[in-house]
Order: sequence, then structure tokens, then C-alpha cells
Amino acid sequence: MKKILVRAMIMVLTLAVFTGCSSNNAGSNSKGSSGEKPATNAPGEEKAAEPVKFSISMRTLNVAYVEKNPDINKDKYVLELEKMTNSDLDIRLIPHNEYQDKMIQMFATNDIPDVVQGSGGISGPELAGAVENGVFLPLNDLLKEYGPDLLKFIPESAWERMTDAKTGNIYGIPEVLTNPSRRATWIRTDLLEKTGKEIPTTVEETLDVLRAFKELGVEQPFAGRQNFKYADMFFGAYDVLGYLNQFKVFPDGQVKPSFFDVENMKKAIGVYKTMHDEGLISKEFATIESTDFKSIVTSGKAGMWSMNANELPIWGAQLIQNVPDAKVALIPSPVGPDGKGGYAHYNPVTRSFYINAKAKDKAADIIKFFNWMVSEKAELFFSFGIEGEDYQVTNGEPVFEVPTDTAGTDKMRYLNYWLWMVQDTTYNKRVSELSDSGKQLVDAFDHMLAKEGRRGLEFDPRLDALIQYPDLNPKSDEMPPLILEHVLKMVYGREPIDGYEKLLEEYLSKGGKEIIEQATSRYNSGESAFE
Amino acid sequence: MLRMQYMWKYKALYFISIPGILFFLLFKYVPLFGTVIAFQNYNLFTGFKGSPWVGLAHFKRMFSHYDFLRILGNTLILGIYDMVFAFTAPIVLALLLNEVRLAFYKKIVQTIIYAPHFLSWVIVSGIFVGVLSPSSGVVNTIIGWFGMEPIYFLGEDSYIRTILVSSGLWRDIGWGTIIYLAALAGINPDLYEAAEMDGASRWRQTLAITLPALLPVITILFLLKIGDFLDYGFERVFVFQNPLNLQNSEILDTYIYKAGLKQMQYSYATAIGLFKSVVGLTLLSIANFMSKKATGESLY
Repeated sequence: MKKILVRAMIMVLTLAVFTGCSSNNAGSNSKGSSGEKPATNAPGEEKAAEPVKFSISMRTLNVAYVEKNPDINKDKYVLELEKMTNSDLDIRLIPHNEYQDKMIQMFATNDIPDVVQGSGGISGPELAGAVENGVFLPLNDLLKEYGPDLLKFIPESAWERMTDAKTGNIYGIPEVLTNPSRRATWIRTDLLEKTGKEIPTTVEETLDVLRAFKELGVEQPFAGRQNFKYADMFFGAYDVLGYLNQFKVFPDGQVKPSFFDVENMKKAIGVYKTMHDEGLISKEFATIESTDFKSIVTSGKAGMWSMNANELPIWGAQLIQNVPDAKVALIPSPVGPDGKGGYAHYNPVTRSFYINAKAKDKAADIIKFFNWMVSEKAELFFSFGIEGEDYQVTNGEPVFEVPTDTAGTDKMRYLNYWLWMVQDTTYNKRVSELSDSGKQLVDAFDHMLAKEGRRGLEFDPRLDALIQYPDLNPKSDEMPPLILEHVLKMVYGREPIDGYEKLLEEYLSKGGKEIIEQATSRYNSGESAFE
Repeated sequence: MLRMQYMWKYKALYFISIPGILFFLLFKYVPLFGTVIAFQNYNLFTGFKGSPWVGLAHFKRMFSHYDFLRILGNTLILGIYDMVFAFTAPIVLALLLNEVRLAFYKKIVQTIIYAPHFLSWVIVSGIFVGVLSPSSGVVNTIIGWFGMEPIYFLGEDSYIRTILVSSGLWRDIGWGTIIYLAALAGINPDLYEAAEMDGASRWRQTLAITLPALLPVITILFLLKIGDFLDYGFERVFVFQNPLNLQNSEILDTYIYKAGLKQMQYSYATAIGLFKSVVGLTLLSIANFMSKKATGESLY
């Protein structure tokens, strides 16, 4: 009796294991086949009503509407977009914060959708070298035939980032930022009025204003943040930002990171040290993260700070909700000894779209899909939404009311920034024209930010030496870890600023020499060096 | 022949163990072969079959890294601190809890000290950053009462190890007592009664009965702990790091993450990981051998 029971047990267990395994297999199989080619029209055949079906991976970009959506593929606007473009999208979301890891997982498991969204040039780290390994389709001929509007709309500088210098092949369709000077200096004008001072223009005047803020009792006259992220205003004024795109030709003919300008770098560090010592910046800014930073600003504790200019309508509204008398303005960034200032310029490519080499037979239709993105119809749809529902047309003119509640702004953000895949993302023209803060924004971008900002040399693909020495590898908006560590210690008074030359020697001895040699030879040969 | 007969006799047991063995083979041993990429320049797209072999290049690079000794030193020091404090603290706490006679009170205390274990390190670090903040933290407020300047704890090399160890202690001390309490519950009460008859004090009873009874559990847990001596944990350190305390807080795990995974140097990261595992295995074997000689207790 016992034996029978044991055997029955074993049978049940093994069965359970097998069914477990097989059902798993079935699941992954069906997933695999759905990604494969559905029936598409043979070339030359008359275009049938059959929509082109393709999968696409997209980063959520912290857009609330996307992240809260139970199924983005069933979203009303995605369905409308499909209808307008005669396509059938299978959007695969990639979480914003794990973007790079998830992308690499995707490549490693070879589960690559038909269209992959990247976020910069063709050698971006999230692509894990996919371009060199032939994962994507060269698009030159396809673009000429099916994407004439794209070729017209997107500037040459952006196409360059999508081009493999060795073969001349274009591998992706870029979304562009025509005004790469995106960060701006913000100030609380209501506080400035109380101090009776003018809008500061130089570093000295800025410090004066900050001191006056301090006297007024402003908790953080300048809002600092970890690793000088969005707090690099003064490094910008002295032109010593030292980021990935901030290499410079020095008088000795060598190409070095901009922080090799010893004199200016020391001055910039000195300014931050003064701010730290006098309490013009939070004494604990080294541990302030992005969420704390936002709450410091929007709760009215800060007098001056740096942030992306296109956040003005949203941050401004939130600040006024907390502090009704608050007034914010974007002002020109303080200038340094060379009479210029501002922040590091952004990459002219914000997102980019690559077509899987395996999706070759759908590539033409996919290009047509992206070509539609720059049409006037697309502009209307992505700016306002669905006609008759989100906006009305009277006398041939669209009439639209800019939403002010959270749900409304979330939806706008989704349409304006996220779902509109290829556009100029500097700001949304149609929506900005309709509100006061929007108009201020457009004005700031066109008349102020366009004139400021720091731009140096950038190497794409990255210099080999930068990969070899992670401690010396700067990020797009952070100095290399080695430099950052010591600069912070100097600001906090743990190390003397006079030791900066020694720090540079250390940098050189730990691999910096190779970096400079490679940068110089790459620059001289003109190989993938962007200015 | 005899063996076959033996196996046949217990065929059901052997049969039933197959899924388990398969599980370990498939999910624990097969992935071990992945470590070959430590000896290659791994290419994501060609896989380990198509990647070029580079021998010990990644190990050489690791040992010749200018900061290798500092990082290894940090890892060892943190490991030792953790061994001294985080390992012994739950034993002491379990002994103390064992002396509490009021069952209701004991339950409440236990529940409260378990609770932090369920918080993620991100939250724990958030709490500690808040508590230690020079402008708004409790600790600095208290320091202020004595007329002293506030201290930026997280911004200084000299405090970071203490913070790391004590945050770990706070989070896991209650959880660590579980096994000890279970072992304590298994001690025969007759022993205590007999000791009491002989006039042994509470302290004497602890020394002569409780501790010896706990010793096997302590030894096993100690051996397990020493096995992952260099495995201090990535997340718990990473969330507390900033450039001001990096000098003392960079450990192998965080370095692997930054240099290896963030910059996609998988082979390099694997080489460091492999090194870590080998050190762990060696330490474990030595400790196991010594423990077998000294106490007769051992893992294998």
C-alpha cells in the first residue's frame, strides 16, 4: 500500500515538472513567433490595407502616463497613431532607470525587436556594440527612397551621429535637439526684488546676490546637488566642465579634457569653496539626490539653481502651488573671464531608432512610419491629441486649451515628448505658444540659451583609453570619478586647492597620458571627433 | 554489484532525487562554465564560442590596478568588522532575549527587531542619511546640545565604515537571532533544573549550559559566513557611497559594478568575481579544517 502511494507521488511530481517545463516552452515559443515576420506585401504589389506589424522597444523616460498605463499597446493614442499610419505596433517598454541593463539583456538573449530605440549616437553604451556586430540594417538607400522628409527635416549634424565613419552607412533615425543648450539658470525673481539687486551677470555679482539671499534667510541660496550634477554653473562660467564632450585643443597642440586649464579650474573650485564656507550652498550637497533637489526647489527653499529650461511650466507651477508669491525666471548664466558662460551642450541626438537586420522585409514600411512623424498631420496629433476629442477645429484653425491639472499635463507630456518619436524636441511650438510660461520658455530658448553654453570636442566611439581606465572616464554630465572625488574634497576643505596640479599629475600617471595621446591623434586624423 | 542492489532497493528515493539533481546541475553548475569569459575578451554578440581568448590578461589588469590593494583592503576590513560585530551581536541578543521571562514582552521585542530586515537597503540608506544629516538629523541635534559643531557623517572617510557596519547591524540583528532562539528552545529544561538544584547562578547556567548548547549552531553559521567573507554585498555599500567617502568605502563588489558592469567589461568583472570566490573558498576550507580539529564541528 505504502509503495503504491510513493509511486503515485513520484508520478505526480514528475508530471508536474514536465508540464511546468513544457508550458514555459510554449510560452516563449509563441512570443518568439509573434516577433517574427507576419505576411507582408511583396514589393511591387499594390499597397493593400494590411497594416505593417512591427515590434519596437522604448524607454519609458519617467513619463508618468506611460508608467501608469496598464497596457500601452491598447492606449487610445497608440491605436489612433496606428490608424493614421496604417501600422500595428507592439511597443515593449524598457524601465527608465534600468535602461542600460535591460537593453544589454535584450541583446544578450537575442530577443531583439524589429525597431530598437537607442539614446544617442550609434556607439552609445546601451547598444553594447550592436552596430559593429551587424545587428542593425544600414538605411542609406531606404531613406532616400522612403524617407525624403526625414532627410530634409533632420540636420546633417544629427545624421553624422548615426553614421559609421568607416563605411559611411547610416544606421538609425535620430530624434533631434536643434538647440543643444538646454540647461538654464533659474532665479526666484520675487526674492531678488526683495534684495533690491539687479539680475547678476558675472560670477562676482552672482555671489553677491547669493549672499543677499542668505541675509534674507533663504535656506539654500544656491541649490547644490550630488556630483555637481545640475549645479555646475560655475564650472561652466570658467569653461572647465570636463565632461565627455568637453575635450579641448590646448596651446601646446594637445587635446585634453577642459579641466586641464589649471588656472580657471582652481578659480572655479574656489568659488564653490567660498559658497560652501559661507553657507551659500547646502553643506551636505554631496549627498543631495535628484528627488531631494526637486523638492528643495519646489518647496521654495532655494533662491537660484540650474535645471533644464523645458521644465519651466511644470516646476514653476509646482513651486507656485507651494509658495503662492513665488516668481521664477530663466536668466542668462553668469559669465566667466572669457565673457561667456552656460552649461555643457547636449548631444544633438536625444533618441534614435534602429531597424533590426532581421526585419529587412518590413524596413520600407517602417521608414515610411517614421517619415510620417515629421508631417504636419503628425505635428497636430502629437501636439494636441485627437481631433474632436482633445481639440476642435473652428474656421480651419485648431482650438486647444492647455491643461493645468496633473492628469492633463501628464497626458501632454506623453504625447509631446514620448509618443512623438522623431521631432525637434527643444520645445513644443504649438503648445508653448498658448501659455505665458510657454512663451517665456520659447523666448529663453530662442534668444538666450541659443547664445550660451559650452561645447568642446567629443569622440564617438569613445576613446579606448577611457574604457580601459574607468576612473578617468567622464560621463555626459559628470567629471571623471578621480577628478570629481578630489575636487569635492577641495570644496569641503579636506584638501588644499593648491594641490590641483598634483591631482593632474596623478591623473596623467594613472592612464591620463594615454587618453591625451589617443585624443590628440584622433583629433588630428579627424576620425569621429565631433565639435 | 552490491551497490547496484542497494540502489535498486531504494530506487524510489533515487528517482525522486532526480529533479533536485537536475536543478542543481542546470542552474548552479552549468552557469559555472560561464566563468570562462574571465579568460576571454567577451563579445556579447558572438558569445563565448566566438570570443577571443586572452589568458590571464584580466587578472593581470586587476592586480596591477593602482587601487587594487586599497579596494581589497577596504573589503577585508569591512569583512572583519562585520565578522566581529554583526556576527556576534545576534548571539548576545538571543541570549539576552532568552533570559526575558515575560513571553508577551519578548514577542513584542522580537517583532520590533525583526522589522528592519524587511526594508531594502535603499530605504535603510535613506533613513540613515536623514538621521545623520548635519542640518536636520537627530544625531547632530543631540551633538548640538553639547555645544559641538554638526558633523557631516556621510561626507567623511573616517565615519563610513562605522556607518556601514552599524546600519547592517540595525537592519539584520533581529533576523539573525532566529536560528539561535530556535536552538535555545531545543535545550532540555532538565539541565537547567539540575543546575539550579546544584546552586548554579543564572550567569553560571548561561556559561555552562546555554553557550555549549549553542556552539554547534554558532560554528556552522560562522563557517557559512566565512565562505562569503569577501561578499560584503554590493547594494548596502553602494547606497551609502559618495565621492567624499569613497576612499574607505570602495569594495570589490562596488568596483565590479562600476568598472565591469556599468562600462560593460564583462570579462574583467568576471575575473574579479572569480578571484573573490576563490578567496572565499580558500578561507572556508581553512576555517572548516581548523574547526574540525578544534571542536569536531564542521560543514563537510
